[in-house]
Formats: sequence, structure tokens, C-alpha cells
Amino acid sequence: MTLHIQKSFDHNKGLWNIAPQGEVDISTAPVLRSCIDEAFNEENGNIILDFDQLRYMDSTGLGVIIGAYSRMKEKGYSIVLKNPRKNILKLLQITNLDRVLCAELYE
Amino acid sequence: MADLLKLSVPGKPEYVGMVRMAISCLANSVGFDIEAIEDIKVAVSEACTNALCHSKNRAGGYEVYCEMSDDKIVVSVVDQSGGYDKNSYKEPCLDQPKEGGLGIYIIKALMDEVDIFTEIGIGTRIKMVKYTK
Repeated sequence: MTLHIQKSFDHNKGLWNIAPQGEVDISTAPVLRSCIDEAFNEENGNIILDFDQLRYMDSTGLGVIIGAYSRMKEKGYSIVLKNPRKNILKLLQITNLDRVLCAELYE
Repeated sequence: MADLLKLSVPGKPEYVGMVRMAISCLANSVGFDIEAIEDIKVAVSEACTNALCHSKNRAGGYEVYCEMSDDKIVVSVVDQSGGYDKNSYKEPCLDQPKEGGLGIYIIKALMDEVDIFTEIGIGTRIKMVKYTK
């Protein structure tokens, strides 16, 4: 199983765009964790996680995002999750994380 | 008469994806729709992740048993990782999300029947059932 991640920092808006492609499970979740942490440490800013190309994620990925969300919140920043596929949105809804991470879906 | 397929999986994270792929094919052959196949894939992955996380010696491995019949699939993930105290499990507090502890909660939400058998000093078996209707 593979996970590729593209990331870029928008200097005008002061935020990261991070787009994982592939699958996040117990074998690839550490890659996502490192990517998010390295990005935030390199340049503090809000993070947009674009899940358009993410086919699969389970609780290991949710754990990574919850951890990053908590650490960033302490410093006054946030993570927003965009374009989750139906299977991933279902997991977010089951765990109520959609309300925290995908607030725009309910605006 | 159900068909039984048994996978013996090395205790390494990189094999969870292979199990997921195999289960996906089996669920498709039983006749589940795409949403149900996704549910089964996630539930089985969570059970495999549990087996790996409970294992102090990851080289130990675990077994995945799949019983397929006309109206259901029964998947059991069995490890010999020493079990755990069932009373120590607490449902996650969804208002205050934490990094871990969501696996069993997600399995129960996605599957129709879930039984967890665990014995300290022996191991754990997570049995999950999904019906086609």
C-alpha cells in the first residue's frame, strides 16, 4: 500500500495545503504524521488537508489528525479537512470528527 | 455450507493492506455492495491493527479467518499476543477526541455483530459478522 503526499505553503494566506494520495493505515500513518509535523514546525500556520485523492483511511489516520489538531490548537492554529470521499466521511461522521474537521460541510 | 478461508499474517504493519485487499475480493464475491465492502475493509483493518498493537513481539503474527455463505461474511482476527483486561476498555469520549482508542468503536459501528474474546496470558479474538441484507 502506498501513500504519497504533496504539500505547499501559501505565503499570502499563511496556510499549508497538504494532499495525501493513496491509503492511510497502520503502515503509512507515521508518514502522514511526520509530514504534518514537519510542515507545521517549518512554518506555523493553519493546515488544509485535501483528501480528494485519498482512497482509504482508518482510525490510525484519524489518530494522526486528532493529535496534530490538538497540538496546533494549543498554539492557536487549526486543521480543516476538505473533499473526503464517501467512505472516509462515514468514519468522520461515526466518530463526530466531521463537526470538528469539516465544519464547512454544515455551514 | 460456508466456505472457510484462513490467512496467516506476519506481524508487520505492511501486511494489513494485503489482508484488506483479500477481504475486499471475498466480500465482493459474496455479493456485498460497495459501501458494505468498504465497511468490512475498515473493520478488518482495525482488528488487524489491534492485533499488531497488542503484540509485544510484532514478529508473532496473527490469523484471519473468513467464513463466506450466501447471506453473510464472518471474519475473525485471532492473535496470541497475551490478551488484555476487557474491563480496561472504555468507549471513547467523542466530545474530547484522543489519538487512540477508536478502533473497537469503529468496528462495532460498521459491522452487524461483533464479539471480542480475550484471555490474559493467551490472546484475543475479534469476531465480526456482516449480513448482505
